[in-house]
Parts: sequence; structure tokens; C-alpha cells
Amino acid sequence: MVPVSQETGQGASTIHEVLERVCSAMHIAEGFLPPAHAIAWGVASAPFVVHGVRSLTREVREHPESTLLLGASGAFTFVLSALKLPSVTGSCSHPTGTGLGAILFRPPVMAVLGTITLLFQALLLAHGGLTTLGANVFSMAIAGPWAGYGIYRLLRRYDAPLMVAVFFGAFVADLSTYCVTSVQLALAFPDPSSGFLGALGKFGSIFAVTQIPLAVSEGLLTVLVMRLLVQSSKGELTRLGVLAAGERAGTRTTGTGAVA
Amino acid sequence: MLPIDAVAHSSRWRHRHPVDKAVLGLGLTLLAISLPPWPGAVLVLLTALAVLLGPAGVPGRRLWRAYRVPLGFCVTGSATLLLQVGGPEGFLSLADGGPRRAGELLLRTSAASLGVLVFAFTTPMSDLLPRLVRAGVPAPVVDVALVTYRMSFLLLDSVRRIREAQAARLGHTTRAAAWRSLAGLGATAFVRAFDRAARLQAGLAGRGYDGTLRVLVPEAGVSVRFTAGSAVLLGCVAALTFVLKAFVLKGPLS
Repeated sequence: MVPVSQETGQGASTIHEVLERVCSAMHIAEGFLPPAHAIAWGVASAPFVVHGVRSLTREVREHPESTLLLGASGAFTFVLSALKLPSVTGSCSHPTGTGLGAILFRPPVMAVLGTITLLFQALLLAHGGLTTLGANVFSMAIAGPWAGYGIYRLLRRYDAPLMVAVFFGAFVADLSTYCVTSVQLALAFPDPSSGFLGALGKFGSIFAVTQIPLAVSEGLLTVLVMRLLVQSSKGELTRLGVLAAGERAGTRTTGTGAVA
Repeated sequence: MLPIDAVAHSSRWRHRHPVDKAVLGLGLTLLAISLPPWPGAVLVLLTALAVLLGPAGVPGRRLWRAYRVPLGFCVTGSATLLLQVGGPEGFLSLADGGPRRAGELLLRTSAASLGVLVFAFTTPMSDLLPRLVRAGVPAPVVDVALVTYRMSFLLLDSVRRIREAQAARLGHTTRAAAWRSLAGLGATAFVRAFDRAARLQAGLAGRGYDGTLRVLVPEAGVSVRFTAGSAVLLGCVAALTFVLKAFVLKGPLS
């Protein structure tokens, strides 16, 4: 009987694939954080998620058809995180998808969609956890999207080409996700001799070796995806506010109207 | 359908109310992170394993396939506690008490993960999500989660078929081709997701869609007997932990 992949339901789930998946998926696992830290990160995430829930609820009440589009966006985010990403170093990982999600759907909506995705990953894939949901939401659904979207908006404001802004948005979103995860782990497990800073250096250096090349890879992939979307789904991108009506990829705009 | 959800749909406890299973599964998880790891987490782990393979009737191979993913993360995550940065022995050296801390963390995370699997392997998402409205989650958010859940399987299936088609056209033979294929995969997933949403919207509009997705939820009541039994089991695990720790075990982790 062919083993079934956890993520795609297809065959060829070898132990190598599992280890690769485990090493690259930087969700904080169930029970990894002490109870006080798990609660604290949950409290820190709550205002952002509540803000996102209010935005989403208002949007759905005003435009009931948005439920289906937002559900499609959530499914896209879930599937995006299951794609296997070739790293520039030759290894392989999964994109966080936070940068592309934030650019397409905005950070408040991504806080909700990211929370739903992380809940599904915890219960359907055994990635992450319920007690660590707050910490994972903070790094992957809040810090990553906001940082990536901030850089994207900043670059667009200074008339950077769309694809340059998209690359740096995805790169920064990916990298900041892992930086926040390093901080979370260092706070929970300070180094016995050098304390928080030593642990931050330890976790940060472990992540830096793998994550900087992966962040570059995710940036490149996001640019390729966005180029195809500009060609095939201009209507959706315009509706989402990524493109202004009549704008073409790579063209410089005279104001900030190209992005919402 | 994803393997854990597929098992949950055919679970012996499929028709029990999610609250019943949450008390047991999430109760075990909470015990795993709050009790002393030795022997508390070991007892939680053994209890969860007995529940999963015994009364819950989860096939052992399915359980192992799901459990090895978080277990691998637990092992690699715990290993970092074996080392320390700086100190008299050099920039990077073995940490004092590192094996004990790593062992405790490994026990805690592996037991907590298994507790969540008790819940996940017995509760289909389609039973859980509609009931979240009663728990105070706004209905629009639950509706979005429901659409996300149902559309995810279709999209994953589409992605699998597209990947197979790309492979058949030698789309993964070179690094450049693999990148092109992956970008195409991501973009096609987006296009298909939005196209499906538009078609669903048209179909629902024809049926008088008013903004609320009504789904049938299997009727089930909270079983006082089951939840009381779960509470007793959790109480026994906690009590046994403290008894063993105080009177019997005095090992390196205690």
C-alpha cells in the first residue's frame, strides 16, 4: 500500500520527506511553550485577531457574497502553505504564504485567515498546536503579514515597480515570521549561561542558515505567481486593490493609488 | 480528504458531541503541559495512546503516520536545549542540565501532541465548525472557515492533478522548469479558488442566498456520563503523577 502524504493525500511520503517537512515547518509544536508563555502570546495575538474578525464580519454583512471569496482566499492560503518550495541552496521547504496573502487580502483579513489555516493545520495535519496557536498566530498571521505588507506599501509609495515590491514584501514577511519565532523560543528557553540573547543567537543562527535562502526562494516564487496572476486574473487583482484599473505589472504609477 | 479527517469521519466516537471529546483530548493536553514532565507526561502519553488505540479505535498505522510529524519536531526542537552559547568551555558547548531539560521538553511536547490527536482523530472538522457559533465565534467567521474547509480538499485535489500533469510534461526535470511549474501551480490554485467561489456564489444566489450558510449538523448531546468519566480519568492521571513523584520515583528528571 502506498503511503499517503499528510498534506496532499498523494503517495510517496518517505521518512526523508517527513523529516524535511518537520525541519522546515517552523510552527511551534503542541506543548512546546510553558503555559504562561502560551497564554501571553494568545493575549498578544487577540487584539489583532479581534480587529480582523470585526473587519471580516463588517465586510460579510455589507457584501454577503464576500463569504465565498474569503473562504476561497482561506483555502488558497492553506494550499499555498502545502506547496513544496525549492530553496536556492538545493534543499526544500514550504512557503509561509504570509507575504502573498497580505498583499492580496491585507493584514487584518490575513490575521483571521491565518488563524483559521493554523487551526486546520493543527487539527488536520498535526502541524503546530492548540496551546501554541496564539504564538504561531502572532508570528505567521500577524507579524509576518504586517511586516511584509508594510515594506510592500512603502516601496509602492516610492514608485518601486510592482514586482520589486512584491519580492521584498514576501521576503520580509517570511524572514520576520522566523525572527519572531526565534524570539518566542528564546524567551521560553533562555540559554543557561548567556540568557535570552544567547538563546536568540542560537535559535536565530539555526534559522538564518535555512531561512534566508528560503525567504529569497519565497520572494522569487511570489513574484512568479504574481506575474502569472497579472496576466490571467487582472479582474480579481483589481477587485482586491492590488492593481489599479488599467495598470500593468512593472509600470510605475504616479501616486499611491496603485495599491489600496 | 486528509488522513486524520478521514479517520475522524469513520471513528467509533464520530457521533459523540465534540465537547465530550474536547474534555478528554484537550484535558490530556493541558495535563501534559501543566504536570511535572516526569512522570506526568509519561502517564498522559500512555493514557492517550491507550484511548486512541483502545476505545477510540484509531488504526495504529494511521496514528503513527500522523504522530511522526509532530514527534520529529519535538525531537529536533528539544535537541537545541542540549547546547549552550558562550561560557568557559567555548562558544558552543554542551549545556549543564541540557539532557534533563531536553528530556522534559520531549516528554511534554510528545504527550501534548498525542492529547490533541485524541480530539482530532475522533472529531471531524465538519462537526466542530458549525458548533463554534454557540461558543461565541461570530457566524460570518464560521461561514468563512466552513467554505475554506470544504474548498481546501477540492483545491488540494486540483493541485495534485496539476502537479501530475506538469510531471508528465517533464515540468520537474530541470531547476528552471520546476520553478516555472511551481509558479504555475500557485497561480492556478488562486484562479481555480476564485473561479469556484464565483460559481458557488452564482449557484447559491439562484437558491435565495441571504448571506447565511445553513448546514446540517448531526444531532448529538453532551454525555454527562462520558464527560464525568473523562474527568475522573484525568483526575486519576494527575493524582497518580503526584503520588509517584512523592513516594516512588526519585530519578534524574524528578
